[in-house]
Amino acid sequence: MHEIALNSPTTRIRRIPGVAVMLVALVVCFAATSPGFLTAPNLSNVLVQSTVLLLLALPMTLIIMTEGLDLSMGAVLTLASLVVALVTLATGSVLLGLLAACAVGILFGVANGWLVAILGIPPFVATLGTLGMAQGLSLIVSDGQSVVGMPIAIQKIYSGTVAAVPLPIWMAIVAYVVFYLLLYHTRLGTFVFALGGNRDALRFAGIKVERMLIVVYAIGGAMAGLAGVLMTARMNAGHPTAGLGLEFDAIAAVAVGGTSFERGNGWLLGTLLGVLTVGVLRNGLNLLAIPSSVQVSCIGVLVIMALFFDGLRSRT
Amino acid sequence: MTDTTKILPGGARRLHISADVLQLSYRLLAALLICVLLSLLTDSFLSLNNILNVLRQASLMFFVAAGLTLVVLTAGLDLSIGANVGLTACLAGTVIHVTGSPTLGVLVGIGVGAAIGLANGIMVTALRIPSFIATYGMLWILQGVAYWYMAGETIHGFPPGFRQLGSGYFLGLPIPVYLLVIFLAIGTVLAQRTTWGQEIYAIGANPVAARLSGIPVAARLLLVYTVSGTMAGLASIIFLARLNSAEADIGESLTLPAIASVLIGGTSLFGGVGTVFGTFIGALILTLVLNGMNLLQISASWQPLVTGAIVILAVWLDRMTRRRAF
Amino acid sequence: MNALAPKPAGDAAVPLFELRGISKSFPGVKALDDVSFAIWPGEVHMLLGENGAGKSSLMKVLCGAYTADGGQFFLDGRKVEMNSAADARQLGVAVIFQEFSLVPYLDIAQNIYLGREPKGWLPGTIDRGKILRDAKALLATIGFDIDPSTPVHRLGVAQQQMVEIAKALSQDARILVMDEPTAALSDRETELLFAMIAQLKVKGVAIVYISHRMAEVFSLGDRITVLRDGKKVAEAMPGQSSPDELIRLMVGRNVDTSYPRNFAAEPGPIVLQVSNVSSPNGIHDIDLVVRAGEIVGLCGLVGSGRTEVARAIFGADKTSAGEIRIDGQLRSGGPDKASRMGIALIPESRKAEGLALIRSVGDNLVVSALQKLFPLGLFVPQRAREESGALVRQLRVATPSVKQPVGLLSGGNQQKVVIGKWLAAGAKVFIFDEPTRGIDVGAKAEIFALIDGLVAKGAAVLMISSEQAEIVHVCDRAYVMRDGGIVGELSRQQLSEENIVRMGMHHA
Repeated sequence: MHEIALNSPTTRIRRIPGVAVMLVALVVCFAATSPGFLTAPNLSNVLVQSTVLLLLALPMTLIIMTEGLDLSMGAVLTLASLVVALVTLATGSVLLGLLAACAVGILFGVANGWLVAILGIPPFVATLGTLGMAQGLSLIVSDGQSVVGMPIAIQKIYSGTVAAVPLPIWMAIVAYVVFYLLLYHTRLGTFVFALGGNRDALRFAGIKVERMLIVVYAIGGAMAGLAGVLMTARMNAGHPTAGLGLEFDAIAAVAVGGTSFERGNGWLLGTLLGVLTVGVLRNGLNLLAIPSSVQVSCIGVLVIMALFFDGLRSRT
Repeated sequence: MTDTTKILPGGARRLHISADVLQLSYRLLAALLICVLLSLLTDSFLSLNNILNVLRQASLMFFVAAGLTLVVLTAGLDLSIGANVGLTACLAGTVIHVTGSPTLGVLVGIGVGAAIGLANGIMVTALRIPSFIATYGMLWILQGVAYWYMAGETIHGFPPGFRQLGSGYFLGLPIPVYLLVIFLAIGTVLAQRTTWGQEIYAIGANPVAARLSGIPVAARLLLVYTVSGTMAGLASIIFLARLNSAEADIGESLTLPAIASVLIGGTSLFGGVGTVFGTFIGALILTLVLNGMNLLQISASWQPLVTGAIVILAVWLDRMTRRRAF
Repeated sequence: MNALAPKPAGDAAVPLFELRGISKSFPGVKALDDVSFAIWPGEVHMLLGENGAGKSSLMKVLCGAYTADGGQFFLDGRKVEMNSAADARQLGVAVIFQEFSLVPYLDIAQNIYLGREPKGWLPGTIDRGKILRDAKALLATIGFDIDPSTPVHRLGVAQQQMVEIAKALSQDARILVMDEPTAALSDRETELLFAMIAQLKVKGVAIVYISHRMAEVFSLGDRITVLRDGKKVAEAMPGQSSPDELIRLMVGRNVDTSYPRNFAAEPGPIVLQVSNVSSPNGIHDIDLVVRAGEIVGLCGLVGSGRTEVARAIFGADKTSAGEIRIDGQLRSGGPDKASRMGIALIPESRKAEGLALIRSVGDNLVVSALQKLFPLGLFVPQRAREESGALVRQLRVATPSVKQPVGLLSGGNQQKVVIGKWLAAGAKVFIFDEPTRGIDVGAKAEIFALIDGLVAKGAAVLMISSEQAEIVHVCDRAYVMRDGGIVGELSRQQLSEENIVRMGMHHA
């Protein structure tokens, strides 16, 4: 009866997300400039290489939706990738290695959540502190050296295929579906929206807000652990700087994907597109032989622009 | 209102130890305690060489953290200082190498550092991006530029006169210690004895009230981030002189210790509380801890772990004491 | 006057909910004093009173945020306890506040059932089908036809309000308390709300409705209770009363102190001139002048745009049209420029906007005067101490030392520090926004003496207050605001509480 005009043509045009436009523009741009870009092997490569980033960016979306941040993800990933390598070498069991890596990740995640929710330390400083700790532990357990000599089973995690589709792509699909269900079809997902959007409403509904925050950060830690395993598989070794700065790519993907640092405004599909944008950008710049350092700078500019436009949008 | 007439404006003559002084004496005591502990545990701590080394390291740490102190006083954060040091060191190093003029190098280093700080300030004030994320983005931009610019090379070997800045001695004390005294004095005067300093404290304590008290908040924030960048540029010069080489990664491991120094020094992450002198004490404590670990032959791998733990501990202590106050 | 009006014609034998002798005190204030009234099922019970008459305290008691000091509650004739938010929910009392408890990026259904989601087939999941069906059915019962999967941030204020109401009903609320629900609604939205209220009445829900709009009091209300000074002063049926009578009942609050004031025979020249000012935050076409030696009141209901006018004059909010002049000079820029031109704002919230609580009394006193005291930019603590010490003596601020954190002072003394800050800066136009809020009686008189002293020395004062009695006692003239515009000016002779309320209210 009094439906507002949600679907008028103007609102529909305005709601075409910037990240989709950017992704298409980048694809067109790179297709025009480098002949190797628009080939099946290269595109498959982009997808496979983006998987690690997706595993971080999905939980980062949830954390940012709660008006938080996790700067420790890259360092925790590094630590987990070393742990899986070391434990697998020591015990000969890939499964044990995988479990140990996840346990380390969850431990750091819970610690982050505890510092933020219970001790009330601002997330960016709390996770900067744990970043240092994870980095330190990585140096300690590896003694600054790469851990090599992985069994073939570890490599298979990255290079294997199921039904002619590379395993990492399957993982990405599963991870996305799980997070999609988690965010949009579970109570926890609902609470994630409320943690950023109106924490008092949640408290008033009798939900233990602190516990929920810890769970969200713990999920971030667990995913960093899993991503660490994938990283070790990809490099066929545990490397003490494997995840350096990856949290920044994840934050970039989330910010570019339109998730806001305020009011619990998150968009999981946007994060997926954001991950692809970062992946395409890096791949395309690689093909153009632009060094990785410049790529990092480009992503830095991208993040600041995304935040600026996000701020503009929320002010009007 | 008879009781109001008894009021003693100006705090009267009785012994009045301000909270700031008390906080600082706790920290000096802690530093002293670590010294005593280390001189008992190791033979080499009390050697002149080691003490001078500690002083020099603490000075270097202080240069990075001094400007950051002002930023944190306004309840902001500058995560880009380490990367700033890295990039400016490379650029200044190149200039010295190419022109042979250390003066020109110093000017370029300080200028680039200031420009980066100004850019941070613009992002925080005009673009209204939260400081931690704006400067975090800046961190990666600078690091990318530094690595690209250096392309894995190292600039090596500077004029001996220039190297004196970092590794020379004057009257038996390392030159950086003299620089430390100078900049400690400048920083303290800026924070405590200028109207700008007063306004910076007011902004950190309550930005809304500061604005409604007629303080030009944006202009002061711009100043503070520019000072932070400038100090990073200055620190890069001294690092350059000390290391006698420039690589893209020299600033990478500096941000966390700098934040740790500021926070251990008693500057509150929530703004409006703290001193530049406190940051020096913080830098001294952190240096003593790391030096002690070194002397006790604990692997350097433990340093980031300990620094990270110290950061968290310092913020937590700050939170606890603040909660009690109001 | 306190006799209960007759029970309605319906078949209920006892009231749905009844309050007897509810009292609530705060240090220095009796917010509620022996308030009793009954709410019958299917009835809209109007609650009327000036700002500060006790309506919001009563609401907080009803939702369990405050525990009453004395009095009893009866639900369906049985005595019940009401000590917490959980109690209130248990009893079926729901309060719809003006600020919503909704999560912007969740959809309507998720908001209605937040924390009580129907479980799906996997542990932790939500039965999407059921939650949408339930929400749809619930929304249908209140005549709100909308897709329950619409995110709340895309709804207008009225629709959000309806979601709030649906949320309350989903928790089996039988008594709904609404706080000025039409304040932010357009005429059309108001109609929708009223249609829904009619539906709720049919369902037997009782509604406590707080309003400032006389028209809706009479068109919507089945029964009217008037509060004044925390006391119930009348209960009436709409047919047996008139707006004039109700206004007479609302005003005439007891004011404990009269504030002595020497009214100047002839005010000085115009100091502050506001011409045709509009701003994006809802004020429009504001015209006012304040002369030297004058205290001019700015009254109207809370939310009528008074604070926004103050902020616009001070440069804290941008203006979209019009101009502001001080001594004939155009004011531009932000608060820093305004304060340099001699404008002072003493904001409504001392703690949030007026003071740096962790800093000392002395630091707070000189913060606006730094440029004036230290033109070279070099701060001399000794000089600052002298200045703040002199102010502490002049204003008689009760503090053990200028080094005391200002957060530890009482409300009245904090207010003196805010005023002192602008005395130090040498301001000549003072804008006071609710200068006596949260201040005890003795300190109030002191604050007014201070303000009187300011105008005696030639300052121009614009004073916002919700206490009509204060305006009447203190001001030379007053402007009355409604819905973001100035609706009238009252001279000293015309100034009366009744006139202020009449002008400030809707369709009165």
